[in-house]
Amino acid sequence: MSAPEIVFDEVSKFYGEVLGVNRVTLRIPPGITSLVGPNGSGKTTLMNLLTGLVHPDRGSITVRGFSPRDPERLMRITGYATQYDAAPRGATGFDFVCTSLLLWGYDSRAARTRAAEALERVGLTEAAGRKVAAYSKGMRQRVRLAQAIAHDPEVLVLDEPLNGLDPVVRAETIALFRDFAARGRHVVLSSHVLQEVDVISDQVILIANGMVVAEGRIRNVRDEIDERPSQFLIRCSGASRVASLLFGRDHVSEIKMVDGREGLLVMTRDREQFAAALNEIALAGHTIESVLPADENVDALYEYLIGGQR
Amino acid sequence: MTRDFRARQIWTIARLELRRVFFSKRSFWVYGLALFPVAIFVAAAIGMTYERRSYEAVNRVSPALINSVNEGESVEAVLERLGTPVRDREFRRRHRGEDDESEELLVIRNLRYWDGSRFAELRFRNGILEAKFIRQLISLERQRQAYNGVFHYYYLKLAIFFGCLGIFMNLFRGEMLDKTLHFWLLAPARREVLLGGKYLAGLLASSVIFGAGAALMFAAMVWPVDPLEARAFLAGPAAAQWARYAGAAMLACLGYGSAFLAAGLLVRNPIVPAVVLLMWESINGFLPAVLQKISVLHYVQSVCPMPAPMDDGAPALVRLFLAPAPGTAWPLAVLGLCALTAAVLFVAARAVKRLEINYGGD
Repeated sequence: MSAPEIVFDEVSKFYGEVLGVNRVTLRIPPGITSLVGPNGSGKTTLMNLLTGLVHPDRGSITVRGFSPRDPERLMRITGYATQYDAAPRGATGFDFVCTSLLLWGYDSRAARTRAAEALERVGLTEAAGRKVAAYSKGMRQRVRLAQAIAHDPEVLVLDEPLNGLDPVVRAETIALFRDFAARGRHVVLSSHVLQEVDVISDQVILIANGMVVAEGRIRNVRDEIDERPSQFLIRCSGASRVASLLFGRDHVSEIKMVDGREGLLVMTRDREQFAAALNEIALAGHTIESVLPADENVDALYEYLIGGQR
Repeated sequence: MTRDFRARQIWTIARLELRRVFFSKRSFWVYGLALFPVAIFVAAAIGMTYERRSYEAVNRVSPALINSVNEGESVEAVLERLGTPVRDREFRRRHRGEDDESEELLVIRNLRYWDGSRFAELRFRNGILEAKFIRQLISLERQRQAYNGVFHYYYLKLAIFFGCLGIFMNLFRGEMLDKTLHFWLLAPARREVLLGGKYLAGLLASSVIFGAGAALMFAAMVWPVDPLEARAFLAGPAAAQWARYAGAAMLACLGYGSAFLAAGLLVRNPIVPAVVLLMWESINGFLPAVLQKISVLHYVQSVCPMPAPMDDGAPALVRLFLAPAPGTAWPLAVLGLCALTAAVLFVAARAVKRLEINYGGD
C-alpha cells in the first residue's frame, strides 16, 4: 500500500535563469490543501512538479509513494485539472473525458459510462455533445474537473478550480472536494479567492517568490506569527467599560471600538493571558456575547506573510 | 503493468492520433504533396488518350505504309498513297543563301500520320520529303522511366521528406504550440509508450498517404499504355515493381518519420533539422562508405526496382548532388534502415523522458 502523503524534499526548479521554486520541503497529508500566493509565486510550478509535467532540478518528490517520473503508476492515482484551457482540436466535452479514460485502460463501454457519470457530477450532461472550443470559461473549468475525477483518483490536483464558476456550481464543486477529502484522499488546489480557501481548506501552503512562507492548519500558522498581535472581535454590552478593563493589561496592545460601540477589536500579544482576562471580566458581571478571532483566516495570513509582495 | 497492456496503450494512442493526423488542417498540404504527381500522370494519360482518339477519328494507316515512305518523295505522292494526315501544318520562311546575298523562299510542310500506336512526322521542304521521324505515342518503357524519375527525384527526395517533416514534427511540437501536450503527459502511460503510439500513428498515416500515392501514380502510369502491352506488364513484373516502389515509400516514411519525430523533441524550429537533413541526404553520394549508411535515402534507393535515372549530359554540380550512392542488396537495405530507425527512436525516447511542459517558452 502506498504511503498516504505527498512529500517534497528540498525541491528546486529553475526555468533557465528564472526561479520556479526554491528548496521546497513539504509533507502534505490527505485532506484539502490550498496553495496560496501571488501570481508567479510558484503555485502552478509546484502542481506541475507534483504531476510530472516538469521535473525538479534538485530534490525529490513522492506522491503517495510514487515518483512523478513514473507516470504509469502516478497518474493511475492522480487527476490534474490544469489551468491550460485548450482541449484536443474538435473534441466534444464527452470525447475529451472519454478519450482520457481510454488511455487509462478502460474499455470503450466502461469509458463511456464513467465519462457520462463524471460529466453528470460537474453538471455538464446537457453540454457533453458540444465542442469544448465552444464552451464558456466556466464550462471548460468543469469539463477539466470532470476529466480529472473520471477515474476516481486518490490525489486530485486543481489549478484555480473555482475560477469562472457561478455560485451554485461553486458550492457543488466545493462539496465534491469535501467528499473526496472525507474519503481520505488528497485534494491539492490553488486559488486566489482567499475567503473560499479559508472555508474549504484543511490546511494552506503560502508561497511567495518560489519559496514556502508558511504551511499547516490556518490556526497553527497564525500562532507562529509572533511579531503580529492576535486580533479578536468581542461583542458585549458596556463595551467602553470592558475596553477600559482590558486596556490596563500588558499583553493588550491596541483596542478599537467597532459596530457603533457595541463591539471591540482587541489586539493582544498573548492569547492565553487574553482568555484569562476575559474570564475575569465575565465573572465580574460584564456580559460577553461572543469572542471571535479576527485574523485566523487566509486573508490575514496572506497579508501578514506575503502582503508586502502582492 | 504487462507488456500486453502497454501494447494496447500504444494502439489506443495511435488510434486517437490517427484521426488528428489524417484530418487536421495541418495535414492537407501533405495530401497535396503525395497526390501532385498522380495528378500530373493522370493529366498526361488523359491528354494522350484524347490525342489518340482524335487521330483515330481522322485516319489510321497501316504501319507498312508509314515504313514505305522515303526521303525525296513528293508531298503529292505521299498524300496520294497514305491519304489524309492526322495533322497538316505549313509555313513559309525566307532563307539566306550561302553567298549571303541571294534569298530564297522556303515552304515547309509537316504531315503527321498515325498507325494505331506510332505516329510519323514527315517534314517536306518545297514539296520534297526532307526528314521522317517515327515515335510511339505511348510507350510502357518511357512511362516506366518517367515514373522512376518522378519517384526518385520528386517523391523520395521532396514529397515524402517534407510530408514526414509536416506529420512527425507536429506530433509533439504541434501539440506544444496548441497547448494540448499536457493531455497526453497526464495519461498513466510511460513516455516511451506515448512516443511509440504517436510514432505508430505518424507512420501509419504517412505510409497510407504516400504508399497510396505511389500506387495511384503507378496505376496512372499504366493507364494510357496499349491494353495488350499493359496486360502483359500487369501479368508479369508489375506487381513486384509496384510492391517495391510502395515499400520504398513506406520505408522512407519509417526513416524520415523517426528522424523528424526526434527533431521535434530536440529542437524548436523545424527549418533547422529539415535543412540539415536535406543537405546530408543530398551529399550522401560522395560521402565515405561508412557515413553513407547513416542516410535514409541510401537504403530506400536500394529497395527501388530501378536506380535513379541520370542524364549523361547533366552539369557536374547537378550530378554531384543527384547521383545516387552505390546500392545495397534490398534485404540488407531494409535491415539497415530498421537499425538506423531504431537508433534514432532510442535517442527520441531519451528526449521524451526529459520533456517538460513549457508552453510559455514556445
